[in-house]
Amino acid sequence: MSRRILAVAAAAVLLLAVPVALDSFSVFVASRILILGLFATAYNVVFGYGGMPSLGHAAFFGIGGYTVGIAVTRWAWPMPLTMPVALVLGAVAGAVFGLFCLRVRGVYLLLITLALAQAVFGLAFYQTELTGGDNGIPGIPRDGVPTGSGFYLLALAVTAGCVAALWAFQRSPAGMTILGMRESESRMSATGYQVATIRVMAFAVSGAFSAVAGALEVYLQGSVSTASLSWQISAEVLVFAILGGARRFLGPFLGAAIVTGLEVWVSTYTDRWTTVLGVVYILTALFLADGVLGRSRSLLRRLRRGAAPPAEEAADESVIVEAGK
Amino acid sequence: MSWLTHTLNGLAYGSLLFLVASGLTITFGLMRTVNLAHGAFYLLGGYLAYDLATRGTDYWLAMAIGVVGAAVAGMIAQRLLLHRIAGQELPQIVLTLGLALVIGDQILAHYGGDPISPPTPPGLTGPVELGALVFPKFRLVLIGIAVGLALLVSALLRYTPIGAKVRAAVDDQEMARTVGIRVPLIFLLVFGLGTGLAAFAGVWGGAFTSLSPDSGFDVLLLALVVVIAGGLGSIPGALVAALAVGLVEEFGRVLFPGWAMFTLYAAVALVLALRPQGLLGKGAVR
Repeated sequence: MSRRILAVAAAAVLLLAVPVALDSFSVFVASRILILGLFATAYNVVFGYGGMPSLGHAAFFGIGGYTVGIAVTRWAWPMPLTMPVALVLGAVAGAVFGLFCLRVRGVYLLLITLALAQAVFGLAFYQTELTGGDNGIPGIPRDGVPTGSGFYLLALAVTAGCVAALWAFQRSPAGMTILGMRESESRMSATGYQVATIRVMAFAVSGAFSAVAGALEVYLQGSVSTASLSWQISAEVLVFAILGGARRFLGPFLGAAIVTGLEVWVSTYTDRWTTVLGVVYILTALFLADGVLGRSRSLLRRLRRGAAPPAEEAADESVIVEAGK
Repeated sequence: MSWLTHTLNGLAYGSLLFLVASGLTITFGLMRTVNLAHGAFYLLGGYLAYDLATRGTDYWLAMAIGVVGAAVAGMIAQRLLLHRIAGQELPQIVLTLGLALVIGDQILAHYGGDPISPPTPPGLTGPVELGALVFPKFRLVLIGIAVGLALLVSALLRYTPIGAKVRAAVDDQEMARTVGIRVPLIFLLVFGLGTGLAAFAGVWGGAFTSLSPDSGFDVLLLALVVVIAGGLGSIPGALVAALAVGLVEEFGRVLFPGWAMFTLYAAVALVLALRPQGLLGKGAVR
């Protein structure tokens, strides 16, 4: 346990040192990594923990973003008001998605979430008076919101708070029922749990924090458009989770950091970043079905073959998801 | 009169959707390979034919090369990539999405982002005049082609020895292998047929609605809707669903312009939530 506290302390020092040690562009990139990492962690409540492959999470991300865009430009709401509203709207949208997904599994769930997200995309695209349609809402004023290093620290605080809340949620009795549902639905319902309620709850929690990430992203970029609702965003967060390792709590966060870092690095060399991203998807599917964390773990185990795994690590394995199946 | 025109437009658009969906219902509905790059192969065929036709190649030759080229590309992807993750849906989804991104981005790099239109087939240009009704000849022919293709593919699967082998390979791989059916070869050919059909739809769909590097996914989504709403692997179901979606899309756009995509996808999500096996599909969903 003390090792874990040490690791958290070290991570906190490193994260706090970012704005001091790095240039302003790197701080911007670091802010983006935090935001997408939060999105991926929230996504994994449904995907890794819930065993439900959603391909519609762009909807929640975009709903959070448009909440900020519309509320700030129309009513000049301050950030302390927009963020909770984004959270609530994300939760409501998540619950609606969850209700639609009650009877479907696997590929069907994926397609329903995709269709629902496209419906939300359609709303943003065609309801032009409210959303600006294809142009989105550019130039959102950021009164009272710090920029640069200040924004990084704000994003760090929000992300840390949300990730800690997600961690606590997944360890709570309610969160554990999501895990139980993934492992065996029939046993859960036989023991008296309402599986339908658990599904809706998983989607609501995931949608809520995804919307917070989307709202933060809009404060970072200063604009929102239908791009944040597009299927590519849903696919990207799915790949974050798989690439980093959907079996572990921080796997998706790591995946978001790897892909975002790679994006920045590659786009300094070539305009064809999308092609590289596609190749990353293909390689992930072929070689990284249990993620970087899963891979490194099994590599470590192979190196230490013969030594019994520490009890603490064995306990962690209870949050396994069969991402490859 | 405009209602009749809208109806015909909807049916023609539905026919185009069926052309795309027929390939998808074979690879996804029948083979259970989740191919989210289907729209990318649609683009590949369309752009290849467009490229050749603008260089002065004969229309039908350009179209044939576009279709065969995309089919070969599909078979290569199946053999080198998808083959390794047979039966694993999630990796298939990630892989084919990656493939779609690569193909779309390469098309963007070579042809730019502006929409293009492969030429209308020679002999099918211009309108048909039936009394007061004036309607593009090409679109009418498209409706006929869709119905003909539906009959042809159904008959191919149901009555020919190859169709029987395909069905056997899909239903029970191991038993099919045991009786000497070369399952990997069958899957390779079926995948090629699926991507070839997608490319054919791309050549003609491009002449209908024009093509752009990011339109592949929209087409894929509509085709997925058609395949699932029609019932997995059911060709007649796909035809009915495609025509229905074409009509809903056309009239939705005319009557409720602000809600175009919302009404369609919300309705589809509702159908799927209530009846996951699709309108004409049978049996329980895993």
